[in-house]
Amino acid sequence: MTPDATSAATAAPPAGWPAFLASLRGPSVGTTIGLAIIVAAMLNPIFSTAFMVLLGRTLFLGIVLLLAFAAARAWPNAWGLRWLPDGLGPVVAVAAAAPLATLMVYLMATGGNFLAFVQAPDRVSGFMWIAGSGIVFGLLMALGATVREKLAYTRSQALQFELERSRLEKQALDARLSLLQAQIEPHFLFNTLANVQALVESNSPRAADVLKSLIAYLRAAMPRLHDDQPTLANELALVRAYLELMQMRMPDRLQFSIDVAPALAGRRFPAMALLTLVENAVRHGIDPSEEGGRIDIGARTEHGTLRLSVADTGVGMDAHSTPGTGLSNLRARLQGFFGPGATLQLEERLPHGLRADIVIPA
Amino acid sequence: MTTALIADDEPLLRERLAHHLALLWPELRIVAQARNGREAVELFDEHAPDIAFLDVHMPGLNGIEAARAIDRRAQVVFVTAYEQYAVQAFEHGALDYLVKPFDEARLADTVQRLKNRAAAPAADALTPVLDRLAQELRSRMPARSFLQWIKASVGNSVRLIPVEQVAYLRSDEKYTLVAWDGGEALIRKTIRELADELDPDRFVQVHRSVIVNLTQVAQVIRGLNETADVHLRGRSEVLPVSRSYLHLFRQM
Repeated sequence: MTPDATSAATAAPPAGWPAFLASLRGPSVGTTIGLAIIVAAMLNPIFSTAFMVLLGRTLFLGIVLLLAFAAARAWPNAWGLRWLPDGLGPVVAVAAAAPLATLMVYLMATGGNFLAFVQAPDRVSGFMWIAGSGIVFGLLMALGATVREKLAYTRSQALQFELERSRLEKQALDARLSLLQAQIEPHFLFNTLANVQALVESNSPRAADVLKSLIAYLRAAMPRLHDDQPTLANELALVRAYLELMQMRMPDRLQFSIDVAPALAGRRFPAMALLTLVENAVRHGIDPSEEGGRIDIGARTEHGTLRLSVADTGVGMDAHSTPGTGLSNLRARLQGFFGPGATLQLEERLPHGLRADIVIPA
Repeated sequence: MTTALIADDEPLLRERLAHHLALLWPELRIVAQARNGREAVELFDEHAPDIAFLDVHMPGLNGIEAARAIDRRAQVVFVTAYEQYAVQAFEHGALDYLVKPFDEARLADTVQRLKNRAAAPAADALTPVLDRLAQELRSRMPARSFLQWIKASVGNSVRLIPVEQVAYLRSDEKYTLVAWDGGEALIRKTIRELADELDPDRFVQVHRSVIVNLTQVAQVIRGLNETADVHLRGRSEVLPVSRSYLHLFRQM
C-alpha cells in the first residue's frame, strides 16, 4: 500500500464486531452504570423491594440497552433496521429493547411464570416504572450519541472539503511557480540562433523579421512575477512569434494558421497557456515526423463556452507516452484562472495528429 | 576529389554549412543534402561520400542511428545544438563534432582534421561509442512504461483522457466504463488488460470488475462479511471491494 493511498482513505465509522466492541469501550459503560444507580435510587422510595434487588434490575436493563445500541450501530443493515431513516436504527433498537429486557427481569423473578407476573399489580407497576425509565433514559442517551456522531461526521466532511480546497489551491500555486521557473529550452534557443546567424550572414532581408519574432518570443517567455492584464491578444502574438520562428527553421515541414475572431482579442487569458499547447504540437507532433504537418489554431463559442483549439496533423500521441508536467500544470493554471469549469480536452485526429482544446466560460 | 554529405532537418543550417565549407575547402564537393536520417542513409548508399556531416536531432532516424548505418565507410562529423551529454560522449569517443551555432574558426579546425585524416581509415573504436550514444539517446526519450492516456470514443471523436483524471474503471460486459473528471465513456479494453497496463502504485483492482484510482479515494468503509465500500472524492458512486482485495485496505 502506498503512503498516498493510506492517507487518502481515511478511516470511516467501522462496522461489524470491531464497531460493536468499540461502542462498548470508553465512557459508555460507566455512564450506563451511573444512570442505573441513579434510576434505582429515584425509584427506591416507591418500590417495596430491597434497593440492591432494584439496582440489579436497572443495571441489567442498562447493560442490555447498551448492548442493543452497540449491536444496532455495528450491524446497521441487520434485522430490518435498514428501512429506518439514517441514524435512527440504534434509537429504535433501544426503545424496543427496554420493555423486552424489563419483562425478562420480571419473568426471571417469577420463575418464568407469565400469569403470576400479570396477576401481581405491584410487579406490573414495577415493570412499568423500570421499563418507562429505561425507555426515557435509553432514548436520551441513544439520541445524544447519534447526534454527536452526526456532528462529528459533518465536521469531518467539512474538514475533507477544506483539505480538497487547499489541495487545489496548492496545485494552482505549484503550477504558477513552475511557470516562473520555466526556462527557455537551450536546444530551441541555440538552434534558432544558428538559423538567424545563417540569415544574417547571407544578408537575407528576412533576418530583421525573424529577429523581431525571436525578441517577442524571448520577452514573453522570460519568467516574471506579475502580468497584470494578460490578454488573448498578447498570447496570440506570442504564439505567432513562436510559430514563425519554427517555420523559418522547418519551412518544408510546418504550415500554420491562426483564426481567432478579433472580438475575442481583449479577453483575459493566462500567459503561456496556448503556447504550451502549440509547443507541444511542434515538439511531439510535427518535429518527430519526417513529413511534418499543419498546426491550426482556432476559437469558437458554443453553449456558453469559449473553445480555443490547437489542432496538428503530426504523429499523434501514444497512449503510453509520458505527458510531462506541462499539460497537468496547464490544467491547474486554467482552473486557477477561470475557475473549476475550465477544462483541457485532448482528442485524436484522423488519419494522425492531435487536437487540444481549452474550454473556458464564454 | 573529396566528397561529402550534409544531413540536417533545418534547410538554412544545411545551406550555411555548405556555404562555409565551400569557402574553407573549395576542393570538397557536397554530393548530397539530406533532410532526415533515413534520407541520409539512402543518399549515402547512392553517392558513397568520404565525409558525412550528421545533425544529431533529426526526425525518424536520428544522426547517431544514421552513423551506425553508415558504419565505418566514411568519416563522420556530428552536428548538434546544445546537447551536453552528446558533446561529452563525442569528446570521450574522440569523435568529430560541431556545436551549433558554430563559427568559422571552429569549422576550419574540423576541416584541417578531416584533411589530415583523409589518408588514414576511420577509427575502429567508433562502433561501441555509437552504440552507447544511441542507447543514451533512447533512454532520454520519455519512457514507454505504464498507460498514461486512455483513448475513449466520445460522440464521434476519440478523446485522450490523462490517467490521473480517471476516478475508476468498471467492467460492463464486453466493454469497460471509464469515469473521469469530465464524464464517462465506454472503451473496448477489458479490466484485465487495463490492470496490466496501468501503474499499480496508483491504480488497484478492488473487485473482479472494478479498478480504482487510489489518489481519488476519499474513504473506505468496512461492511459485513469481509467486504468494504470505496467512496470517491467529489463523486456519489460507491464502489465495492470484494473479500479477495480487502487486504489492500488493511491496517487503516
